Amino acid sequence: MISERSYPYATVLPVMLVVALFTVYPLLHSVYLSLHENVLTRPLDNDFVGLQNFREVVTGYYFWRSLWSTAVFAVMAVAAVTLYGLGVALLLNQVVLGSALLKVVVLLPWAIPAVISGIIWRWIFDGDYGVLNGLLLVTGIVDRYVPWMSQPFSARLCMTVAHVWKQGPLAAVFLLAALQVIPAELYDAARIDGAGRWHGFRFVTLPYLKATLALVLIYETIVAVATFDLVYVMTGGGPADATAIIGWYAYTEIFRFLNLGHGAALAIILGGLLLGLVLVYLRALRAEEA
Amino acid sequence: MLTMTPARWLLVLSLALSLLVVGPPPAAHAQAGGVTLNLVSWSYGVEIVRDNLGKFQQRYPGVSVNYSDFSWATYHDAMVARFVSKTPTDVLYSSDHWLQEWAAAGWIIPIDESFPQVRPYLSEYSPFVREALTYKGRIYGTPYYADTFIFVYNTDHLQRAGFTAPPATLDELTKQAEAIKAKGIAEFPIVLGWGQQDPFSIESFTALVFAQRNGLLFDKDLNPVFRAPGSAAEKVVTWAADALGSKKILSPTSLQAANVDQIRALQSGAATFGIIPSYSLAVLNDPGQTQQAGKFKIGLMPGESRATVGFIRFYAISSQVPRRGKEAMTAAWNFLDYFGGKTDGEYRITKRWSLEKGLGFAQTALFADKDIRAAFGKWADVDMLQKQAQLARAKEGMTPYYGTWDVFSRAELHKAYLGQQKPVETLANMAKKWEELKAKAK
Repeated sequence: MISERSYPYATVLPVMLVVALFTVYPLLHSVYLSLHENVLTRPLDNDFVGLQNFREVVTGYYFWRSLWSTAVFAVMAVAAVTLYGLGVALLLNQVVLGSALLKVVVLLPWAIPAVISGIIWRWIFDGDYGVLNGLLLVTGIVDRYVPWMSQPFSARLCMTVAHVWKQGPLAAVFLLAALQVIPAELYDAARIDGAGRWHGFRFVTLPYLKATLALVLIYETIVAVATFDLVYVMTGGGPADATAIIGWYAYTEIFRFLNLGHGAALAIILGGLLLGLVLVYLRALRAEEA
Repeated sequence: MLTMTPARWLLVLSLALSLLVVGPPPAAHAQAGGVTLNLVSWSYGVEIVRDNLGKFQQRYPGVSVNYSDFSWATYHDAMVARFVSKTPTDVLYSSDHWLQEWAAAGWIIPIDESFPQVRPYLSEYSPFVREALTYKGRIYGTPYYADTFIFVYNTDHLQRAGFTAPPATLDELTKQAEAIKAKGIAEFPIVLGWGQQDPFSIESFTALVFAQRNGLLFDKDLNPVFRAPGSAAEKVVTWAADALGSKKILSPTSLQAANVDQIRALQSGAATFGIIPSYSLAVLNDPGQTQQAGKFKIGLMPGESRATVGFIRFYAISSQVPRRGKEAMTAAWNFLDYFGGKTDGEYRITKRWSLEKGLGFAQTALFADKDIRAAFGKWADVDMLQKQAQLARAKEGMTPYYGTWDVFSRAELHKAYLGQQKPVETLANMAKKWEELKAKAK
């Protein structure tokens, strides 16, 4: 029989085991890998190399390029997701005919796995048989099919659109929740004071949304920086590494260059970057609660 | 009677959870009265594979096969994950791209020591096949298929543009493509499968390099000669950058295209010229698939030497098999022999792939097989196919680090094609990467 004193420990044991197995162990193992030489084609060379993997990764050919690609993608994605989320939330906040159905439709992409949505968008943007090209051609907007994913900028744009489609609904839900707690009296008061729609938005809606917007911005930055699945299914990092963001770079180091040491070092760097963003996120959350 | 207190329940739950996490025992390895092999392939002709497996299991009733497949573009990465995680994998498809990498990593094993009966097959293979199946003097498998990259053209397009013969050099290719574009026959007459994701892309590029004068990438000591001023590689990269950039005769979709996308562009009549594995010509000239069927012909690769790349995809045995014992090893060999070797005196499975899918073969004698000639004759000029095959060479630089260099190079080549950097810069970066990998491998 377990004593009363050890009962609390026994109750948390299963959860602790799961956390240890799926979080703590992989983390510690990654740290171990990052401090050792670990190239799969040289299985016998497993020397302790200290921070050499980190040094090689940071001074290597790809790191700063992928960091730049990540920054460009994050800026494009976060701005687009936030604007999309805000626009959709404002629309859904109006009581219009069919708004309940609209809410479901808008939220649908969020429920679709990222890999599936990536494949859908890859087909949509395809330069030879994509439906987007078909539509643009039929409506006379283009005179021939455009190879959207063969140019660095447009490939980034395609990825951003797919990202917004997938992530936008969540931002919309956050913002809609915030919009729905704004007292209607404030708008009435603003109207009495002569405020139009823009001023109502500027001086009533926006101040109320500020904290939620901050959350959305930070959360979406984290999601954009950690993006991997869309790159995997849509572009494979191309063309010319234009979409090879840091998560993809880590994957490439491990699965294609077979260098687990470099991959683990990159994963830890990426983890540190995300941890920093999470801390900012938590601070913003506390500020909102206060 | 045992009383189940909440704490005991929790203990049981923890144990159950642990068992779930640890997972089931490798039951697939221990089927009573026989051996179960786990076969992994890329997704191609899956129905034929399954049918072949049925026949194999009839012939070897003690052996059953669990089959799984992954897409070609992700196959390498999926296999790396399987090998590292020790997911049961016994017999598998591999490619000469990855043979040395997987052998050096200890994931696949040489077969000639345990099964010397593979050696007599070697004399029947094309020289490039023998070379591509060998690592450190040992043989690593039996051929699934062996093929060459060929240059194809749409005869109707050429005729309408006023040409009677396909281009013999890159300059002629440019001129013909410009004429076809000028006459409005095809906006982008050339399409290539040079997407960054497709492992075929480096082979297609290498085929063009081999076709040029002094078409070499590496010397015999594995030094990168492609960096030298005026090299064949520089000529090809410069040509491609011009074709894509200033001349606009190379389809921009080439940089996102896998082989299958290239085939679609040719089938639709949107493009005139392509470089494809020869079996894809069967698809191009299949009346059931395209109205352009019958219009595609082989021209020898454009360049002074007319050479090309010959490649091999093969059946290999994973290093997990010897640990399972002699019975499993014998079953694995039987699989390799049945699928890649002779059954009752003939290459039954190889021939089936050739007849039904147009796949090429490692065994030169099969060019004389009347069934194969008749089948291939429906979609290709068999003599021309054979002529190009005789000019085929194995890829150069086959080392455990070739795969890494390949992935790096695909992106670097894109940068030159898109004009982001000069061809010489791209080639210098590729050479630097090669030397870095070579130095580390020592």
